[in-house]
Amino acid sequence: MTTTASTRVVVTGRRDATRLPHAGPRRREELVSWAFLTPFLIAFVLFLVWPILHGIYLSFTDQSLTGAGGGFVGFANYAEALGDPVMWQSLWNTLWFTLLSTVPLVLISLLMAALVDRGLPGQWLWRLSFFMPYLLASTVISQIWVWIFNPQIGAANNILTALGLEPIAWLQNPDTNMIAIVIATVWWTVGFNFLLYLAAMQNIPPQQYEAAALDGAGPWRQFWSITLPQLLPATVLILLLQVLASLKLFDQAYQMLGGVASDTTRSIVQYIYEAGFVSYRFGYSAAISYVFFALIVIIGVAQALVVRGKKEL
Amino acid sequence: MAPPLDLSRRQFLAAASLATGSALLAGCAPGTAAGSTTQTLQFWHLLSGGDGVTMSSLLDQVNAAQDAYRIRPTVLAWGSPYYTKLAMAGTGGRAPDVAIMHATRVPGWAPGGLLDAWDIDRLTELGVDESTFPEPIWKKGFAGDRLFSVALDAHPFVLMYNTDVCDAAGQLDSDGRLLPTSSPEEFLEQLRAVAGTAEGHGLSYGYLGDGAQMWRLFYGLYAQHDLAIDLPVGGSMGIEKDAAVEVLEFMRTLLDGEIAAAQNDYGTAVAEFATGKSGMFMTGVWELRTMQNAGIPFDATMIPTIYGTPAVYADSHSFVLPHQSAADPERRDLTYRFVADMLKGSFGWAEAGHVPAYLPVTSSPEYADLIPQAHYAEAAEHVVYDPEAWFTGSGSNFQGEFAAAVQGVLLRGDDPGSAIDRFERRVNALLAQPNPADPEGTWKP
Repeated sequence: MTTTASTRVVVTGRRDATRLPHAGPRRREELVSWAFLTPFLIAFVLFLVWPILHGIYLSFTDQSLTGAGGGFVGFANYAEALGDPVMWQSLWNTLWFTLLSTVPLVLISLLMAALVDRGLPGQWLWRLSFFMPYLLASTVISQIWVWIFNPQIGAANNILTALGLEPIAWLQNPDTNMIAIVIATVWWTVGFNFLLYLAAMQNIPPQQYEAAALDGAGPWRQFWSITLPQLLPATVLILLLQVLASLKLFDQAYQMLGGVASDTTRSIVQYIYEAGFVSYRFGYSAAISYVFFALIVIIGVAQALVVRGKKEL
Repeated sequence: MAPPLDLSRRQFLAAASLATGSALLAGCAPGTAAGSTTQTLQFWHLLSGGDGVTMSSLLDQVNAAQDAYRIRPTVLAWGSPYYTKLAMAGTGGRAPDVAIMHATRVPGWAPGGLLDAWDIDRLTELGVDESTFPEPIWKKGFAGDRLFSVALDAHPFVLMYNTDVCDAAGQLDSDGRLLPTSSPEEFLEQLRAVAGTAEGHGLSYGYLGDGAQMWRLFYGLYAQHDLAIDLPVGGSMGIEKDAAVEVLEFMRTLLDGEIAAAQNDYGTAVAEFATGKSGMFMTGVWELRTMQNAGIPFDATMIPTIYGTPAVYADSHSFVLPHQSAADPERRDLTYRFVADMLKGSFGWAEAGHVPAYLPVTSSPEYADLIPQAHYAEAAEHVVYDPEAWFTGSGSNFQGEFAAAVQGVLLRGDDPGSAIDRFERRVNALLAQPNPADPEGTWKP
């Protein structure tokens, strides 16, 4: 929206400048565009810029949620964060979850899109059922999966015992709880990536497949040589969105474990929440969130560099 | 049907937004009751489920008994979010007149000025003083020499037992009460006997992913060694490791698949006992209603004293005065009256399973007839609370840290000694942090 508005201002501005200096209409148009921008700008400054700046300020104080403190403590919070094993563990958990969830979320969605695009009858039904979980709130997802993973009466263990395997305390056992959260997350969000892939596949002109078929290319050949290469831009987009979404891990993990801090699933966002809203240490909580912010910037830049490098090839 | 209003679209929108706006504002306004002399007091608590129903009937009772005040309760979900909201309301200057806190959370709160101290003289005038409470419960309300919380109850961790199953196992005496045991071996023997007659396990104990459940049993048994965990500000945790390891090993023995299921979460344990499949159940007294509604034959008693000193892990729901910078003396006065009225009317609270803290209630003949409550009322004399520090108490992350360190021992048989070492390291890290309510450490009780 905003880009269209500003482009238009620039274009009319140039036109006006080539004519006689006649400031009236141009200023008017500028005013109008600012008027349209204002509601967004107010929200942007109030809910994004100001909190970011205030957060940086807080991270240098010992402000408490209880109203106590607030004195300037320099880099003490950052020093504490960098030496805090729980912070490092939560950062690692977050990265581990990102890795564990991103790979299946990309591969499974690609597979689902390919199946729906090429072969399966009743496309609309598949499209609907693959996408449906994505529409549910994280609270609903958590409730469903807490029941599925119930150690005594859950569906997951019923399947295991039917296969002659030992039941597992999925969510309570520190060896399996991260996997359980990954499984639930994949089921929940794979539909979104699936939709992006499906749209990209349906954009590939059918003539290319016809031409390939005439040259004797089978379905596999067509998939490898036509579909996959043309999905590259979609894959880059999906990877970017997925990594960012996975790094934000909090709600489903928090809810599925009933708010209990587990060393193996506590994400950095949960630790920020705990420091601020359970231990009431706003200053420290703000400092951890900026450490995390720095990490996201690094990952973002790295990703951008890789993508740019690929384009130049 | 009413005649259609002749409004233009704009008029309609304006009227509608005005109506919504004033409704919203009315919702924000501090309560003003119908009668001009009746004051409405804001009361926050975290009691839901069966406890919530009981609490609201108690409130109806005190509201109906007088005209001076009316209580307007706000119920929030149990756990750390409750305390976060209460703290924020206080910081924002909109604290309720009175609130319920777990007594174990008060030490973290009092220093920051989030709570106002109770005027002991005023309470005494209303018939609420040291002599009307069991000693450990009254003392728990103090920080230094100021009283910050007045307990409504103690809710101990107790042992419920199915009388049919235990009788069949020959574990009841002639009065139909569970035979006492006084050593770990005796208790295990009793549990095995009960397991032999129970359809499911001898004992239901849910702990998976539930730090509070693990901590309640552990700390009660640890305290039976006549020991307490010490958490000095800025120091390191004082824990008797041998005793702690002994207790963990005992807990591990319980979870052998015969006495108790090796992997049970809280809800499943409740279900197992409520359906009569197990012989005993370790839980808080707040499950009493659930079991009565389930219609199983059961009784309850203190967790047996198997390590020498009677000690029962418990917490108390306590009344506190969230800090108000300019407290209205009249409302404050009514708040004192309300608390006194609640304590005196807390017999109804006993019906929900809790042990009322107010002695005139528990020493009444009606209470002696209240079974099984009267069978564990003695617990109030032996209550042991969480060790005091800003990060301990119900719904705090201390119990979560305990779970993170100890669950592996119970679930997979990890080494109890290294679990205690790990717990100690984590607690020492917390001890090194300043109390966020008093970061400069300037508060003196």
